[in-house]
Amino acid sequence: MNDLRSDFPILKNNPDLIYLDSACTTLKPRPVIDAAIEYYERYGACANRSSHRKGRETTEKIDQIRERVAGFVGGDSEGTLWTKNATEAINTVISGFDYSKKNKVITTNMEHHAVLLPLMRLRDRGKIKLEVVENSHPDSNLEEEIRKKIDKETALIVLNNANNTTGKRQKVDEIGKMAHEFGAKLCVDGAQGVPHFKCDLKKENIDFIAFSAHKMLGPTGVGALVCRKEDLSGLRPLVVGGGNVKKVELNKIEWAADQSRFEAGTQNYSGIFGFGAAIEYLTKIGIQKIEEHEKDLRKKMVNCIQNAGAQVYGDESSASALVSFNFKGAKPHEVALMLDQQGIALRSGFFCAQIALEAIGAKEGAVRASAYLYNDQEDIKKFGEKLEKIGKLYS
Amino acid sequence: MSIFSAKYRPLAKKGFECVFKTLTLKPCDTGLDDQIKSEIVGKLLKYSPALAKIINKQFALLSWIFVLLTIGSLAYSGLGIYNFYLYGNCEGPNATGACILNDITGDYGRFSEPKDLIAPTTLDGIAVGDPNAEIKIVEFGCFTCPYTKKAEPTIQQLIREYNDSIYYVFKPFPLPNHNGSFDAARAVLCADEQNKSWELRTEIFRHQEICSTDGVLAIKNLAKNAGINMSNFNRCYDQNKTDAALSRYIQQGKDSHVYATPTFFINNKTIVGPKTVEQFKCVINENQNLFEQIGCSLGQWWGK
Ligand SMILES: Cc1ncc(COP(=O)(O)O)c(C=O)c1O
Repeated sequence: MNDLRSDFPILKNNPDLIYLDSACTTLKPRPVIDAAIEYYERYGACANRSSHRKGRETTEKIDQIRERVAGFVGGDSEGTLWTKNATEAINTVISGFDYSKKNKVITTNMEHHAVLLPLMRLRDRGKIKLEVVENSHPDSNLEEEIRKKIDKETALIVLNNANNTTGKRQKVDEIGKMAHEFGAKLCVDGAQGVPHFKCDLKKENIDFIAFSAHKMLGPTGVGALVCRKEDLSGLRPLVVGGGNVKKVELNKIEWAADQSRFEAGTQNYSGIFGFGAAIEYLTKIGIQKIEEHEKDLRKKMVNCIQNAGAQVYGDESSASALVSFNFKGAKPHEVALMLDQQGIALRSGFFCAQIALEAIGAKEGAVRASAYLYNDQEDIKKFGEKLEKIGKLYS
Repeated sequence: MSIFSAKYRPLAKKGFECVFKTLTLKPCDTGLDDQIKSEIVGKLLKYSPALAKIINKQFALLSWIFVLLTIGSLAYSGLGIYNFYLYGNCEGPNATGACILNDITGDYGRFSEPKDLIAPTTLDGIAVGDPNAEIKIVEFGCFTCPYTKKAEPTIQQLIREYNDSIYYVFKPFPLPNHNGSFDAARAVLCADEQNKSWELRTEIFRHQEICSTDGVLAIKNLAKNAGINMSNFNRCYDQNKTDAALSRYIQQGKDSHVYATPTFFINNKTIVGPKTVEQFKCVINENQNLFEQIGCSLGQWWGK
């Protein structure tokens, strides 16, 4: 892990930067940047449209990457579609799902707005019945909570397998099994999961999993939804246009049978190229290794933050290197800005999860430090030293 | 200034909002205060954690002080603009200033930085004394400029004290931004034809405000009071007989780069604005000994 840092141009260009905002977006290694540029320099064409040589090469490459992305989460390329980010992937499921036969949806109070807002909007329009179960307490047993609410009317369960507020991870295989017993589907917001630990669509009984490239070393503006091919047929595309159809007559549309039904318009090819390189980079290191590294970082982070006198939110056994905290009497933004002055980049506020922050008792928001594979113990040590000084301001 | 930059405009907006809210005793909720505080405290932390702690705790008090300072300086700027409009000088009527040539029409060829002053090459004008006197004082003045008026007693005293050794020449330099300045200049030139210029000039300075507001009418009244032959005066005035001379003096002023009235050329030295008799004396005697020169600079520095 130690020599990884030299792969990240941004760290080379800013030797004093300690980047602890990877839950928002990660830094990009050289191979990802090169791959994104490679599209423009060597390929440059449309995929699945033009039959000339460059068009064919682009199509081939995009198909290969689709397979690689699908494989990363144990899915097949036929059930994998490009989106612009995790948000769009989640919306594709929530808004495109068929609620005509049953319309109950279960989610938790620890979800990102990417999950809660599309659900609440459907609820407010009377399209679904929404159950929000409690999952903010370190001892909450989500499986039990869902079991209390699930019934034959349940169409969908949507939840994350790692939240962006306390870093808590959620095993979902049992929840998936339960969903299937009741004929419901499980959609996992994997934005904070897929980049950090092994996720497997089939082994974990997941029906849909959504994630963003930019949170896993890839470029911004591209994400993916992975599911089984059969499950795509039940979804209605969010956006329609070029590339969606087999045949169009003025009074009849024949939609494409495969995932291209969901990929309207020219796609973010350069982003997809970078996404492919990111998956390759992560695979080479090994997701298991990343997970262990983050576990060590988290331990040290929690120690440093508590030593500085701040309150850490959430369960300490949750495994992501993502810790939210607050100093008594300090506004979160203040602390973040002071750390910024000392060369430490992290996030403060509500992290697009206001309900979750209220649930954990951080009504004014919190400060969040989130590390990734390019951070080392030295980073955390420095972070701890600066934090300690800030802590004294409020002691 | 930040409202002109896309980068800083949002900051300026937040700033205005914050100041307005603070003044109306509402909390500033734009986050700008927190941002500024955190950045200052964050920077200080690197050097002095103790000082950082104090600032962190007392920031509200500090920002109040700054708000009050800002209002104070805004009010002061406003007063300056008001004074400039009224008196042609930001510091008001009683200041040691001068009437700045505010040449909006461009007739005087400038509305810019003062250039170096150059002594006029001719000594024509409304003159007093012996043309061969050792000390020659040329004044470019505007009869409706309060600072030209303010310099008047000094000039009179100098003429009295130095008597024969001064040759004093007044070149009218009416400022376009002072009402009645041209009327007064023409009138004094007409009075000079009857050797009554000093009498009229004294009257005009004494009643300067009416001259500015009422123009010719007031000035003709003053001329009558000064014992001027009005039929000759009216002929001179109404037929614009002095226009050629006046244009010449204005041109000379421009050539000398005069940017404010009164401007004095004392031999080749210059004084801008009304100064004390002592300061004039200093300049008159300047090429004497070193000690006096130092005294002079101090005198000019401290003099009012
Ligand atoms: C848990 C979770 N879900 C969804 C998202 C949305 O990701 P994106 O903004 O890439 O669509 C995020 C990003 O902050 C997240 O943390």
